[in-house]
Amino acid sequence: MTDERTQTSLQAGLKKSTFTLFLATGAWVGSTAIMSFGPSTLWSYDASTTYLAIAANLIIGLVMLYSFFKHLSAMDEMQRQTHLEAIALTLGITMVLTVIYGALPQARVLENVQPTNVLFVIGFSYILSVITLWLRRTRA
Amino acid sequence: MKNRLKVLRADRDWTQADLADQLQVTRQTINAIEKGKYDPSLPLAFKLAALFGMPIEALFSPDGE
Repeated sequence: MTDERTQTSLQAGLKKSTFTLFLATGAWVGSTAIMSFGPSTLWSYDASTTYLAIAANLIIGLVMLYSFFKHLSAMDEMQRQTHLEAIALTLGITMVLTVIYGALPQARVLENVQPTNVLFVIGFSYILSVITLWLRRTRA
Repeated sequence: MKNRLKVLRADRDWTQADLADQLQVTRQTINAIEKGKYDPSLPLAFKLAALFGMPIEALFSPDGE
């Protein structure tokens, strides 16, 4: 009864999309680092090179986004629903925490805030949401 | 939503992995459907009905029934 090719194609598709997403994310992180630190360390604030680095970062970011959508479509429907619910949870958590974090300097709890810290909130919220939602559905 | 998936699958002597292979989903998805922790999409419900050769309402029923 078992058709091994079907399961293999599902798993193979997911493996391929995961690897593509990994490469795209790595390229985006690398291009972000170049865009951020390149002006001071690599090209002495040459404006045209900086614009080029920004454009490259934007294009690689869009490629990463496209890879993520391909990754979602390679999943089976329960995996996809779990990830979409995790995205919704992440949006809510990030919104609430970002508002609090943004109000801290005004309340004189912190001197200044780093917008990039929001990325960590997004990352941790997403990972925790996926794990929690997946375990809720798959645990005995 | 309740379903008779586990009984029907056992009648045919299929494992969860067998069923998952035929439906192009993961074994965890079949397990979650059987335990009522995940309601399948309409296309997947139709695929299940076609595979077992019966109408959808013979496979799935609302929780209250």
